[in-house]
Amino acid sequence: MYGRFYSSLLLISGVALMTFALLAAVREASPEWKGYQSRYKELFMERAEGEFMEEKARAVDYGIRQIYLGDLDRIDRCTSCHLGVENPLMEGAEKPFTRHSGEYLKNHSVNEFGCTVCHYGQGRATNSKEAHGIDRETYWNYPVAPLKYIESSCAQCHDLKMLEEEGASSVVLGAKLFREKGCRGCHKLDGVGGILGKPLDGIGSQPVAYFPMRHVEGEKTTYTWLKEHFDDPRAVVPESQMRVVGMTEEEADHLTTYVLTIRTSEMPRKYRRLASVPPKDMTGEDLYQMYCIACHTTGEYSVYDEIFGRTIPAVRNPAFLKVADNRQLKKFIENGRPETQMTDWKADAAGLADSEIDRIVEYLAQARPEDRPEGFELSIDDGDQDRGKELFEARCSLCHGENGRGGPGFLGISLTNPVVQKAEPQFLLLTVRDGRAGTPMVPFGETGLNLSDREILDVVAYVRGMVDSVANGEQDAEDQ
Amino acid sequence: MSENSRSGIRKIIDNLKGLKSSFTGSVIRSGKPDSDMSRAAVMFNNFFLHFQGVKTHINTLRPNYTFGLGLIALFLLVFTTLSGILLMIYYNPSIENAYNTVKDLKYVVFGGNLIRNIHKWAGEGMLIFVLLHMARVLFTGSYMRGREFNWVVGIVLLALTFILNFTGYLLPWDQLSYWALVIGSNIAQSPKEITDMLGITGFFDIGGFQKELLLGGTIPGKETLTRVYFLHIMLLPLILFTFLGVHFWRIRKDGGLSRPETYEPSDPPEKKGGIFPSRKTYGLMALAKGKSPAVDKDVENTVLSWPNLVRAEAAVFVLTLAAVIVYSYFIDAPLKELANPLIPENPAKAPWYFLGLQELVSYSAFMGGFLLPSIALVGLGLIPYLDREQEYMGVWFSNRQGVYVTLVSFITGSVVLVGLLAIVINLGWFRNWWPDVPQVLITLINPGTIWLGFTVAWSLLVTRKTDSTRMGAIALFTLFLLSFVILTYVGTELRGPNWEFYWSKSQWPIH
Amino acid sequence: MNYNPAKGWLEMGTDHFRRVLMDSQNGSQRLFARLSMLILILITTVTLPGTSLAQGEDSDYEAVLELGRRVYEVRCLLCHGKKGDGKGLVGTIRRIEKNGRVLEIEARDLVPGVFRFRTTPTGCLPDDADLLSTVTDGIPKSFMPSHKKLPLEEREAVIEYVKEFSGRWYEEDLCDTIEVQKPDWVGHPDSIERGIEVYQEMKCGECHGYGGKGDGPKSNEIFDDWGKKIVPFNFATGELKRGSSARNVYITFTTGLDGTGMPSYEDSLNEEDRWHLVSYTLKLMNKIN
Repeated sequence: MYGRFYSSLLLISGVALMTFALLAAVREASPEWKGYQSRYKELFMERAEGEFMEEKARAVDYGIRQIYLGDLDRIDRCTSCHLGVENPLMEGAEKPFTRHSGEYLKNHSVNEFGCTVCHYGQGRATNSKEAHGIDRETYWNYPVAPLKYIESSCAQCHDLKMLEEEGASSVVLGAKLFREKGCRGCHKLDGVGGILGKPLDGIGSQPVAYFPMRHVEGEKTTYTWLKEHFDDPRAVVPESQMRVVGMTEEEADHLTTYVLTIRTSEMPRKYRRLASVPPKDMTGEDLYQMYCIACHTTGEYSVYDEIFGRTIPAVRNPAFLKVADNRQLKKFIENGRPETQMTDWKADAAGLADSEIDRIVEYLAQARPEDRPEGFELSIDDGDQDRGKELFEARCSLCHGENGRGGPGFLGISLTNPVVQKAEPQFLLLTVRDGRAGTPMVPFGETGLNLSDREILDVVAYVRGMVDSVANGEQDAEDQ
Repeated sequence: MSENSRSGIRKIIDNLKGLKSSFTGSVIRSGKPDSDMSRAAVMFNNFFLHFQGVKTHINTLRPNYTFGLGLIALFLLVFTTLSGILLMIYYNPSIENAYNTVKDLKYVVFGGNLIRNIHKWAGEGMLIFVLLHMARVLFTGSYMRGREFNWVVGIVLLALTFILNFTGYLLPWDQLSYWALVIGSNIAQSPKEITDMLGITGFFDIGGFQKELLLGGTIPGKETLTRVYFLHIMLLPLILFTFLGVHFWRIRKDGGLSRPETYEPSDPPEKKGGIFPSRKTYGLMALAKGKSPAVDKDVENTVLSWPNLVRAEAAVFVLTLAAVIVYSYFIDAPLKELANPLIPENPAKAPWYFLGLQELVSYSAFMGGFLLPSIALVGLGLIPYLDREQEYMGVWFSNRQGVYVTLVSFITGSVVLVGLLAIVINLGWFRNWWPDVPQVLITLINPGTIWLGFTVAWSLLVTRKTDSTRMGAIALFTLFLLSFVILTYVGTELRGPNWEFYWSKSQWPIH
Repeated sequence: MNYNPAKGWLEMGTDHFRRVLMDSQNGSQRLFARLSMLILILITTVTLPGTSLAQGEDSDYEAVLELGRRVYEVRCLLCHGKKGDGKGLVGTIRRIEKNGRVLEIEARDLVPGVFRFRTTPTGCLPDDADLLSTVTDGIPKSFMPSHKKLPLEEREAVIEYVKEFSGRWYEEDLCDTIEVQKPDWVGHPDSIERGIEVYQEMKCGECHGYGGKGDGPKSNEIFDDWGKKIVPFNFATGELKRGSSARNVYITFTTGLDGTGMPSYEDSLNEEDRWHLVSYTLKLMNKIN
């Protein structure tokens, strides 16, 4: 019954099955690498000279080649297509058969190291698209890196001193830029550094999904992200507070190379070749460059910063150093300024050791002029806060805001900040009396606007008692 | 020549010469199937075929009766099992190695990619065809007249199919697997919502228990993978095959596939050879049941299973195999990056067949993840016991009224469900309108429970209006089927990052 | 009367008058003298305050200037300098933009009487209302603070004082303020298109850059009237100093920013084209969706 129907169904399905089974078998039997391997054999035979070489060429047989690297927990199958990598005859041949450039393979043989350790990419894959991992569709987090960043792999095993001697200039320059551009002023590394940016630990091994790729213009890989955000942070992350680092294209590439060396896991001991010289201690100036320079630049002038929305004070300003002694400076650095971008750098916060802060203070103190200012004679407890309030509103609110908070649009710093209010009274009194040359803070004493000592005392007494009305919810921040 | 007179060596030589026929004769003991007797013998002598009767009713062979759906589901199971066994040669169920072994299958193993694709698509295709098969059984009323228990067995098989698919989805340990597992374990934990509300979580934490049972610990990790692997290759297949055996056994014992009582084939089968000789030498002995004289007609409109049934099954087998291979040839099973607990997928989605459930879970974890599916399964299981009308068994949609009830239920149900979804998508639900509303209100009253209420109410309404439980059953199942389809579609295509509504994937914001 | 050459004529006259007033025997003569005396006194008492009023106007103005001076010394001197020449104690203010460029800002020199933010045509003095609004609202991004908490009287007084720094207010007449009538189609896509054309035609990009980022070919060579380098506005920063409404942008085009490199386009562009340019400018500043 229904015999004809089922017979024809069987026939048609059978034909379809046979066809596609055959097609599938043919497809499995002719993978991409086979084509490359036969071409390689051809090339090899062309270039082979002499009996020995010709026999070798003839002996090239087909099959996936893989390098199993147990210590590194990887399998690299790159040599299934990149067959000529160690073959001297393949010098200058067409890609992908060319011999590896330079003499790197002498010390890093392919059998011991594989390829992905230096070049990244998906070693296990056997077709070029997925092995190189370039497209997002390949879902591979570490595509083959552009050659300009390849020195980031060198630093996994070798220390920078050795690399400098061997000519790996990119990563060494990158490390220098990292130290001198003040990156750790905002980014923690190994637990030490500022808190305005994300910590950099392991940044070089983060998967692609860690980085917001929406605004990236080139390929959406870690390498392009890093480079583009050095060029213009807000083009990549619109709400970023990162300052424009101000580097040329090459410098940005060098810094990217260096940043990529910061990885989560270390290479096994047997692969590493490190120097035995410990790094030298950093001087105060080195520390200043590493942590402070990004925001404070030379420290001689104060600058109103549009990204931060407030004035960045001048910390190596002679007038400032005249009135702030080393103890005061140390307190300023340790405690930072809460609710501003100045981090608290003490050991249990941003993580600078006591001795390191001391060295920075000594470096700053080098700019202090010889002469001491005349002390302020009146005692702060005698200040009249009511009169101080009147004076404040008439004279100080222009720059520091009605409630003294400073902030966006105002030239002056925040006076309601607890660190400022708890500063030594002499520091505040002398600042108001003598001003701060090199910054917009004018002298209000006899050298400037001629307020009397008593008036200055009243104002400072008022400032020290000022309550932050915005933080108390009494006033809106825009209502200054 | 007698046996004894030949020499021993001669005997061996003679036996060797006759090896082919003696061997084939020992395997196929009934000889070539050229007579009805031998064709019958093929069926009952063969280990694999004896599960089926010697004779098959014609209605069973009708393509537009069953559409071969049960067979397709069975064959898909066979392909899934065989391809799964092959995959087991290479797969390693530890979280360090699982992903890499799947990659090796893809890239290195000859045919590995194809076999993996077959395993995935046959496995997921099984879900679709099992649901279609269930629909066929219900709409032809084939759960009546003693077949009630087989329906319940079928429901159990349905649940097992879903769970098997889910456990398999978790094995590659890529981002898809990991975050589907996180979602699944949180759904397993959903009774916690209720025990928290009642304040009894301290004593009776069923939600936490279920989650730990699935995860093999408190967080997804290597214990989970071991456990899931064990479930997927050992425990669940054993249970499935046991129930499958019972399912087939019941088909035989219930008299084969269902058929209408008043079935009249358009082309009645002739007797070909047969058990009874064609020359009539007897008189009328008794009156047998039937509408027309059965002379020269075979017993009760049946035909011999060999070759008819076997040919039909072979055709469906090859068709299914061809379809699976064609599909697997063109479309690869997805595989994303290695699982990374620090980088959530957004949206984190369960596999597509659970997305209808996930949509319900987005309204209330407990209701959508636990109670509503349980009620659905129990409710479906009860259908043969609540509908005892046996009149129109074996007829699609029973009668004209049945077609009408199906259409009206389909249209009304679609409108109501799409309307409910439109409300919750555009206007939000209780939490958006009254931020302080107590959670218990949302658990009790949300689009999922409202839909359940509507389903029950509608079926009861139909039953009352038509005075027929059969019509009620048809209405109920139509609503169930369409809600599965619509909710799955919404969960798959229309939900994007943060479970927000998007008309298409191209509108999703790029990270 | 007796003519006495030793007495002056005034003395003689008053003597005579007194004698007539007091001692005259002639009743009518006495009456006439007293009446005229009365009238004289009346006239004097009425007119004398009038003359002192005229003097009071002068002294009132003095009082205003004095108030203005006091306000100036407390609030303005520290930036604008004692002589209003912008060389106050505050000195140069540094401001670093988001793209890393450092601007050096100094207080306005009030002496030449050249002001940017006016509603009068180019080359004219600003209106009193212009000065008042600058003092009241301040100029955002430029550290001129807002003095709106100061009573109106004091603000007006300080303006009067400020005017004293420049001779122009004595020498020139005030011009009429311009009229601003914003049409409805400002911001419409067609208007923006025409604005783009105008931008190209008028070569705005030479200074402002063709992407509006203030980086045009000539942007490095612009100096203000005081010889200091200034930079053209970068539209991408989004906020103009005088305010970013369509009105304000239009006023800028029409009146020009005197003292800077931004000229007035009142003569070179008709009113409609200026409004089209406003549409395009607002788009560059991302004020239009």
